[in-house]
Amino acid sequence: MTKSTTALALVAFVAACSGKQAPAADASKTFTIAMIAKSSTNPVFLSGRAGADSAAAELSKSSGVKVSIQWLTPPSEDGSVQAQRIAQAVNEGANAILLSASDIGKVIGAVNEAVDRGVPVMTFDSDVPGSKRFSFYGGDDAEIGKMVMAELAKQMGGRGKVAILAGNQNAPNLQKRVQGARDEAAKYPGMTVVNAFSHIETPQDAAAEVLRAQNAYPDIQGWAMIGGWALFTKALLTDLDPKKVKIVSVDGLPAELPYVETGLAPVLFAQPTFLWGYQSVKTIFDHVYLKHDVPARVPMELIRVSTDNLGTWARQLRDWGFTDVDPKYLALPK
Amino acid sequence: MHSQPSVTASPDASRATSLRAVVVGLATSPRAGLVGVLLVLAAILTAAAGTHPDRVSGLPVNNFLNVYTLIQMATDASGFAIMGVGATIVIISGGIDLSVGAIFALSEVVMALVLREAGPLPPGATVALGLGTCLLVSLLCGLANGVMVIGLGVHPFIITLGMMWVLRGLAFVVSHAESILVPQALTHVAKASLGMGTALYPVPLLAMLAVTGIGGLYLRRTVAGRHIFAIGGNREAARYSGLSLDRIQLGVYVVSGLTAGIAAFLGAAFYGSATSSDANGYELYVIASAVVGGASLIGGKGSAVSAMLGALLIVTLRQAIRTLHLDQNYEWIIIGTAMIGAVVLDQGGSRLLARRMARRAMQTRSGREIS
Repeated sequence: MTKSTTALALVAFVAACSGKQAPAADASKTFTIAMIAKSSTNPVFLSGRAGADSAAAELSKSSGVKVSIQWLTPPSEDGSVQAQRIAQAVNEGANAILLSASDIGKVIGAVNEAVDRGVPVMTFDSDVPGSKRFSFYGGDDAEIGKMVMAELAKQMGGRGKVAILAGNQNAPNLQKRVQGARDEAAKYPGMTVVNAFSHIETPQDAAAEVLRAQNAYPDIQGWAMIGGWALFTKALLTDLDPKKVKIVSVDGLPAELPYVETGLAPVLFAQPTFLWGYQSVKTIFDHVYLKHDVPARVPMELIRVSTDNLGTWARQLRDWGFTDVDPKYLALPK
Repeated sequence: MHSQPSVTASPDASRATSLRAVVVGLATSPRAGLVGVLLVLAAILTAAAGTHPDRVSGLPVNNFLNVYTLIQMATDASGFAIMGVGATIVIISGGIDLSVGAIFALSEVVMALVLREAGPLPPGATVALGLGTCLLVSLLCGLANGVMVIGLGVHPFIITLGMMWVLRGLAFVVSHAESILVPQALTHVAKASLGMGTALYPVPLLAMLAVTGIGGLYLRRTVAGRHIFAIGGNREAARYSGLSLDRIQLGVYVVSGLTAGIAAFLGAAFYGSATSSDANGYELYVIASAVVGGASLIGGKGSAVSAMLGALLIVTLRQAIRTLHLDQNYEWIIIGTAMIGAVVLDQGGSRLLARRMARRAMQTRSGREIS
């Protein structure tokens, strides 16, 4: 009896949550792209999703085909779950898949199977080299790591103790960035890398890791952040002194702009995360629907953000759909 | 008054009686509720899922009720269900094992490293070495849990929580955070189609059914299994009955570890790689499977089949969120609600049953006194 009651409660709950019935797809008029990023709690991927939705809306208007984005990103990073979602997308009739891989080894088989079953796959941000994906949109991770460390060295005059904020230690693209940063640091005899600090990829965990490391190594004078997680909080604005510590970070989301303004992070290398989705969806449509050739690698350029272009960058973020850009940055002349 | 069936009943009548017996048996089975939930949920999803055209024939295919999705769901559930059988055995004994996700990660990482170190081997030897390594590591982990629970006299929650971090850390250190590819021979086994056709992989489903079947037989049909119920139901009574509590407790943690090892072998073989972050947080899904399946956290109650049904229910709920195009953040809310609801209703039902039994006993006694 209790189980039956549970049954009714569960069914009622799911039915209540469903709100509306999923629309039946009509292949002649719809083109569905399943988007599987690493984690749905990471703001950079939400920005990528906004870009994908924007491109889908534009394409729907211009082509007469209803292009829709099916968001299948796991709540937290898990390569096995990504592989499951790839299979699910194929089973539910997606026309193409857009993926940022958490773990290459876990998803490569699923990617190849999807392609074998007639669903083309494109990757962004974190590639699956050696798979049957037709294109990758993203940067060279080793180069990104080098760029961040070279800029930090420039800010610090090529001297001092630095640390690397490394994100998820299992993510292959981040491992390459960390290695790139280490390789670049080795070119500066006056600089010492005290350590690379990994953490759970949430803003609070990242900021806490920075503060823990700073307490353990009070002589850290510079941070090379190969992802912007820690700067998505305001914690470091109050806890680190811009006169003693300099940060150079990847990413340039609205929450990070005060760090540029105060000089704690004089330079950010913004990933055009909106374009992850926007550019990739356009590339997929071009290749899969319009049958055009596309390059196997669509290069992504990082944007250097400093006080010289803070206003321009803030307006770019607003134009990409970010609603949380501080108006004072929007009002800056450049 | 019930009439007795006639020995000269017609074949039709006896068929109807047998059918009625089967229906009544199913309806009154302890698992009827869970099976009902799954069927109702499946019916809702089938109705609401919509369709897509088959890529080859062009015929409409239901987005939920198609063989690919169903096998995929069984694959997704297999890890939780296999570990859920082990977790159920621990829970029946009155314990808890929070380290199964970490045992999973360490077992598969060590297996991948051993296979990499061993170099190219014949497929059969590769599979045997991989499976053997996974089982050995998981057995040792379970043994360590059991020895500490017994030897240190600390609550298993604390011991297995600590071991969860220790084992996860070990997996991280030995793997250097690498994602280690496993040989194709393993993937060929886990992804054998067994004649079902392209992209249909029933091995995880079969493994889940096999482990559940063995777990069910062990719990219900063996003396060792009955002993587990005995110590979970009333520890002191079991002690006075002469049961070796330490040996039984050690055994349940070893079994729990072994189920994590089996799930790890299947997971690494199916997805083709092993990393230290694999199965992170799975312990909660595993315990949820057992509890939603009706296992009582105070011990003495649970079943392997129900744990499998619990895992299937969780995976179906997760699938529902995607099939119905809901915001996936509902996943945690739904699973959390289902778990709390199941436990609360289960406890309420048990209290109600106890009250009814007490009332009946009182009525019987007063009836005797009057007569």
